[in-house]
Amino acid sequence: MSSDIVLPGQPIPIPRGPIPQVGSGVYSRDGTVRASLIGVPSYAGSTLEIKRTRPRPPAPNSVVLGSVTRLSPLQAVVSINVVDGVPLPAGEEFTGVIRVQDVRATEKDKVKIADCFRGGDVVRGLVLSLGDARSYYVTTARNDLGVIFATSEAGATMEPVSWQEMRCPKTGKIEKRKCAKPEGM
Amino acid sequence: MAQSNFDRRRINGPEESFQPTFEDDDDRETRWKPGNPRIGRGARDIRPIFLTAGLINQANGSAYIETEKTKIACAVYGPRQSKSTTYNEKGRLNVEVKFSPFSCTRRRVPIRDAEDRSVAVQIQQALVPAVRLELLPKSTIDIFITIIENDGIEGCIAAGSVAASAALADAGIEMLGLVASCSAAVVGKEIWLDPTEEEGKASSGTLILAGMPALGTITSVWQSGSMTPADGIKCMEACQERYTDIHAVIAQSLLDNAQNNT
Amino acid sequence: MAAAASATPSGSNSAEQDALKALTFQRLHPRTYLERFLAENVRPDGRYFDEWRDISVNVGSISTADGSALVRLGSTTVVCGVKAEIAEPELDRPKDGFLVPNLDLPAICSPKFKPGPPTDEAQVLSDRLNEVLVSSGVVPTSSLCIEPGKAVWVLYVDTTCINYDGNAFDATLLAMVAALKNTTLPKATYDEDRHRTVCSRKIREPLQIGRLPTSYSFGIFDGTHVLADPTSFEEPLLDTTVSVVVDNNGGLISVMQLGLGIVGGDDVLSQCIDAAKDCWDKGRRDVYGAS
Repeated sequence: MSSDIVLPGQPIPIPRGPIPQVGSGVYSRDGTVRASLIGVPSYAGSTLEIKRTRPRPPAPNSVVLGSVTRLSPLQAVVSINVVDGVPLPAGEEFTGVIRVQDVRATEKDKVKIADCFRGGDVVRGLVLSLGDARSYYVTTARNDLGVIFATSEAGATMEPVSWQEMRCPKTGKIEKRKCAKPEGM
Repeated sequence: MAQSNFDRRRINGPEESFQPTFEDDDDRETRWKPGNPRIGRGARDIRPIFLTAGLINQANGSAYIETEKTKIACAVYGPRQSKSTTYNEKGRLNVEVKFSPFSCTRRRVPIRDAEDRSVAVQIQQALVPAVRLELLPKSTIDIFITIIENDGIEGCIAAGSVAASAALADAGIEMLGLVASCSAAVVGKEIWLDPTEEEGKASSGTLILAGMPALGTITSVWQSGSMTPADGIKCMEACQERYTDIHAVIAQSLLDNAQNNT
Repeated sequence: MAAAASATPSGSNSAEQDALKALTFQRLHPRTYLERFLAENVRPDGRYFDEWRDISVNVGSISTADGSALVRLGSTTVVCGVKAEIAEPELDRPKDGFLVPNLDLPAICSPKFKPGPPTDEAQVLSDRLNEVLVSSGVVPTSSLCIEPGKAVWVLYVDTTCINYDGNAFDATLLAMVAALKNTTLPKATYDEDRHRTVCSRKIREPLQIGRLPTSYSFGIFDGTHVLADPTSFEEPLLDTTVSVVVDNNGGLISVMQLGLGIVGGDDVLSQCIDAAKDCWDKGRRDVYGAS
């Protein structure tokens, strides 16, 4: 199979018939379909593509993991570390912002950012759009999105109790966060 | 060359130091004289290229190229978040070149100067048409090139472009094709390909051509010195003839690297 | 630390998913990740606490330099070149030449370094390297004299890091000393009448070399664990780093502490010194080649 590796610019042999849809990693020019990445071309349904394996920048609908760096009454600023399950190299983070209207799906106007996120929390979010020049817009308005890891004021790792509360195992204190539904529930 | 820069961020030597001057005690018969054929290789022969990808594991993609006495390392970082304040629909390609202090006959001060920037601009111009920057909004791709040994500035630019193209492919950045680049010099009445530093000095003009052989397009032409337009076109044609060889070298080393990783 | 999952035509399998999950955990909780490995008496790259990475030294490949060396310490790669120039000596030291070492940590070698002037890290390392080279007497500056009071050699020993995976200090010292050992200078004569120095193209002489130092760096984690030869993942998590410099007879030249943090007591220091001498004895006696 390794002899099937194509290089950027190399035409990809297509079997006879209609020209397939062109997916990522592949482009078509002047009627020839060529690769734009190093890899093995494969078909996902009727779309020809070459899978990307490297860390990539966030795109709309990417699932991202990030840590909260700054809070304001209107938004939480997140430093995105992991995009679609692939961690970014150290020192190369993207900035994302969770606006107050994107924190949860219900009662959007009653959201208090301090009750949903704290500095240092690790959050799972979904990229809404490319946002503005400085940050991507991220949402946590889904059951499986939100805080996945947080340390309490006492310094212990907290466990989620409900979708808006976490409990410190050391002191038993409850702290408010917008939690993500843990996997497997 | 006197160096009177005091850089408080580095260990400094004496205020002024000079390159050693040599007595003319060696026999200069081996030196080339105008009208003689080229020494060491044919007029249209390029120096053998040794290219490996993936040597710098800290970077997203990397390549190291060696053509006899020119040695260049290249690393690609990114796509990274752009530091600009304006929204960019297309990604940006940022090329930075650094000559090591020991890379040239005369020691170079570590501070970046105009020559570093001009080499960087030429390499960037050779690469930009080949990268699909429209797929990377708000992102920057950083290409860092360190020239470890320099034997001919035109050869450095050509080899640097080739190494950067291999590093970009290694980094998984979408490109329309691989970029090959070749340099030529007009020496007397002949066209010599891939001039060394001495040959470049003996020439009246040089030309560097970069393009994508797979698509049959040219991405950058840079001519310096003086030559007739007819000679210019001859240089371009001679460079293009060598393209397939250079492209094959890049392709082979990328395939070897990809196969080693599977 | 790019995720190097290979492209398989059938999509990702569970082994790849596990690998990505481990990398994600490493990225989000680096300290806990390291602690879990140390609890099993091993480090994330599989080494024992006192194990060193492989070293390879390659000299003399750069023709534009008077002496050169390429050193690989694991993945950390540094290139060192020596350029010799001529200058007037200082007034109060008319027979001494100059040795000017510098380490550059450019943006090419790691995502941690951004383009620009030398970072604090590079400055501190250059400073320490200068101290070691001077105090160990690798090249006695009196051997660099061409004509007392008129002309001396200046040796610029410049090192560039190409790939940074931790422990640049050890790799750079190795490269600098190997490059100096490889250096030859043209035979120089001072012309009294014309007040200038003339060099011969044909005759070249090697440098006079004194002691040959090697350095052994240890990272202290959590006050208790001593990790030899830290990688770039481990370095930001360490309390501090201790470097022990040993000469080619096994004698101690210096012990330095790099970075902030407090070394826990004398026993940690003596542990490092013993480990350094042990490592020199077992593997590094001939690292500079036949002397």
